[in-house]
Amino acid sequence: MGNKADVWQGTLALMVLKTLQAMGSLHGYGIARRIEQISGDLLNVNYGTLYPALLKLEQEGYIDSEWGVSDNNRKAKYYKLTSAGRKQLAKEAREWQQATDILARFLTEPEKTS
Amino acid sequence: MRRFRAWLVRLGGLFRKERSEADLAAELESHVQMHIEDNVRAGMTPEAARRDALLRLGGVEQTKEGYRDRRGLPWLDTLLQDLRFALRMLAARPAFTAVAILTLALGIGATTAVFSVVDRILFRSLPYPHDEKLVSFGVKAPFEGIEFMLAPEYAVLRSQSTPFESMTSLTPGGADCDITEQNPVRLSCALVESTFLSTFGIRPVVGRDFVGEDDRPNAPRVVLLSYGLWKSRFAADPNVAGKTVSLDGKPVLIIGVLPAEFEMPNLGPADMLLPQALDEAALDRNNPRVVLRAFARLKPSVTIEQARAGLEPWFQDSLRFVPPQFRAEVSLRVRSLRDRQIEDSRVGAWVLLGAVIAVLLLACTNVANLLLVRAVGRQRELAVRAALGASRARLARQTLTESLLLGLLGGIAGCGLAYLLLRVFISIAPEGIVRLRQASLDLRVLGFGLAVSLVSGVLFGMAPTFSEPTPESLTGKSAGPAVRGLVRHVLVAGQIAGSVILLAGAGLLLRSLWRIQSVPLGLETQHVVTAQISLAEHRYPDTPKQLAFFREVETRLGRIPGVTQLALSDTLPPSGGMQATFFASIEVPGRARLSQGTGGMVGWRMVTPNYFPALGIQIVRGRGFMEADRAPTDNPIILSEALAEKMFPRENPIGKSLRFSAFDRQGPWRTIVGVAADVKNNGLIAPADPEFYIPWKNDPETYVRRAYVTFRTPLSPAAVVPWTRTEIAVLDPTVPVEFATMEARVGKLTQRPRFDAILLSLFAGIGVVLAALGIYGVVSFFVWQRTQEIGVRMALGATPRSILRLVLLSVARWTLGGALLGLLGAWLCARLLQSLLFEVRAHDPALLALALLILLTVAFFAAWVPARRAARVDPMVALRYE
Repeated sequence: MGNKADVWQGTLALMVLKTLQAMGSLHGYGIARRIEQISGDLLNVNYGTLYPALLKLEQEGYIDSEWGVSDNNRKAKYYKLTSAGRKQLAKEAREWQQATDILARFLTEPEKTS
Repeated sequence: MRRFRAWLVRLGGLFRKERSEADLAAELESHVQMHIEDNVRAGMTPEAARRDALLRLGGVEQTKEGYRDRRGLPWLDTLLQDLRFALRMLAARPAFTAVAILTLALGIGATTAVFSVVDRILFRSLPYPHDEKLVSFGVKAPFEGIEFMLAPEYAVLRSQSTPFESMTSLTPGGADCDITEQNPVRLSCALVESTFLSTFGIRPVVGRDFVGEDDRPNAPRVVLLSYGLWKSRFAADPNVAGKTVSLDGKPVLIIGVLPAEFEMPNLGPADMLLPQALDEAALDRNNPRVVLRAFARLKPSVTIEQARAGLEPWFQDSLRFVPPQFRAEVSLRVRSLRDRQIEDSRVGAWVLLGAVIAVLLLACTNVANLLLVRAVGRQRELAVRAALGASRARLARQTLTESLLLGLLGGIAGCGLAYLLLRVFISIAPEGIVRLRQASLDLRVLGFGLAVSLVSGVLFGMAPTFSEPTPESLTGKSAGPAVRGLVRHVLVAGQIAGSVILLAGAGLLLRSLWRIQSVPLGLETQHVVTAQISLAEHRYPDTPKQLAFFREVETRLGRIPGVTQLALSDTLPPSGGMQATFFASIEVPGRARLSQGTGGMVGWRMVTPNYFPALGIQIVRGRGFMEADRAPTDNPIILSEALAEKMFPRENPIGKSLRFSAFDRQGPWRTIVGVAADVKNNGLIAPADPEFYIPWKNDPETYVRRAYVTFRTPLSPAAVVPWTRTEIAVLDPTVPVEFATMEARVGKLTQRPRFDAILLSLFAGIGVVLAALGIYGVVSFFVWQRTQEIGVRMALGATPRSILRLVLLSVARWTLGGALLGLLGAWLCARLLQSLLFEVRAHDPALLALALLILLTVAFFAAWVPARRAARVDPMVALRYE
């Protein structure tokens, strides 16, 4: 556990949106586990911070929630993307792509010139 | 947008806590359960699985806490909690709360109301652009209170270079004018120079301004309508310019409409503006007949002093045309338009402002004192809360909320009070206080008052949190910091000083008012009815017509039963406004005329024989007028005692002759037939001028468009007036007649001092109440704090009497100190009031002593009530206290 990276500030929301896009409707625990899985268990999701983040997304209208029943017959709150959430995801993903591209160029540039 | 939406949801989150709390618990519960199941499936023991699940979650309660912060608005949540708590605290001590709110309301309300009035007079800009550059200028002479210009001199000045950007003039008094077409109506017309509007920076809202052409003596007559007249008579017709209206029987072309906020610089009435069309060719510096009021706009860089210096050469030149003996009494005057307008409202306004600031300070000290007292009382509570883990910031926030809440409640009550007070002021205000009717509640002032009260509340309310609560405070036995006790006493002393000053000032004004009301008038007011009649110029253009009308009035009214001693006169005492001449213009045969100065003013009236008996004016020597005196050949005259004494000291004036000669005109020789008792003739306050009377004759030399009918009646005026009115209406229904009893006319003159006195008394009353509340609060606290000590003393044999003395002595020193300070202050402030006083010395020891006595009595009783409570303390209860 010790060498796993913590989730960076601000990226958790994006990961949640992406997860929900991929999975359709999912409960909080499922979202957390899914994020860990996708990251190849390199990320350590703090479950405690996940719920306020979900609440924030819901308040902003990007996701919706309703109570449902899980695979093993447990009552759970299921989250799913709204259309605003889909748009927001596309926008944030684009921005994130841009940011990483720029950063990547920065990091490779000095090696070429030197 | 998304943020706002989230904010709204969060705001809503404040109000659905229970449901979402249950939701959250269920969601976290299912999360933990699923995690445990996963862990068990991965091979952990149930205990380890549970432990790991909780660990990864970071604790259920912590997660909930983070979730809650996100769900609502935490600061708002705390605020609401603080507010609820503060409200509960305030409700728990209704007496304290009521006193604090009342105090604040009085302070804020009175300050706001008075400032709303005073602001209009002293500070608010006049309704002209760059009003600070506008001046009134002219010559100041003893016979006229306001500076004026003689028309020829004005014309000379206009042809020279001046320190003014532009200058203009108007004809004083304006004139009544009548619209003479269907629905005839009497209006006020103001005659102005064509540069009038441009100098004041005003543009007509419809049509055009006057141009130089309009001002020529024989130009076609044009008129500008006031906004009100345009609305009421012309239905706000946008095409009104170009129409004609029949004014005094002649057609006049309407050229435009004045803006709604327009007002005359002399604050006179003006329904219409007409060019004064001065005939400059006819002006003669040696024989100035026309008087003007002049105004100007200074050049941007010129000050009033510089303007005065700039006018000096012209003034010196114009002095050549003033008779040499008067020159010393004539001076040049340039002053700001505001100064001219508020002339006699100024001192009163500043006194009011001073008084109300004193009241505000008193209110603030009172609130401060109350909060301090309470803060000390709450030390134990704060200590307990600190011990339970509340941070100092949290405690400070709580006290702050309470103080602000108190300030806010007081402020709201103050708004209501301010509104009421302003209404009261306006309703009791006399005529002639400039701009009072326009006064409205001033939001800036309200804000200011609120801010002051909040700041004082915050400062003193937070006092207990400045120091860390000590564990000792938990015992509730700390004696209370001595320093704060000192602050309290100083505050009370200051309050008492302020109240003494207010009381002394109110006392002076009340005494002065009493003096004014009991000033001997020299005439009888009871059963005397007066009527002012003014004739329209176009209907009565010449003397024969005017005199014929009044002769007819005299005979007709004289026949009414219940009307006796009917008299006509051109003016009436005791208000000013009579005709006047210089003492130096009186010529007595065989005597050298006064060669230096004017000798002061001498008033005169034209009266019918019944004038003296109608007003009850005694003839002290010789006789009054008789019908025979109205014959054209006789020229009798009656002097007032003061004039007789001035002209013929220790001589019998009866039978002597005199005549009036001013400039190049000489009147006929007149024979003195009597001496009448002195009458107040310049209002009640100003010293009376000597005066003389000449008979009202049917003489074409006189010109009387306005005159007074005076008569005595044993009946009630209400019974006689309608009859009289009808008789005049039979003669001419268009003539306006204003009836008033002599008592009402005199009463009007005391309105102003009464207004000042009532207001200052009101403030003094508020001040005394506040001081009493302050003392009461401090003594109550003293008793509360020392209940235990008192119990011990009583257990050891102290009598209730000695306890009473102990408590009273504790405040006596500070009260006395404050009172003495107040006496000193009152002594110093009294001089400011001097100009408002009438026959009262500003430094009146008896009044000061009275003020002191009142205050000390009130202070004693305010201290007595809680002191009695202390004396009745049951020692057993007191010892068990706390």
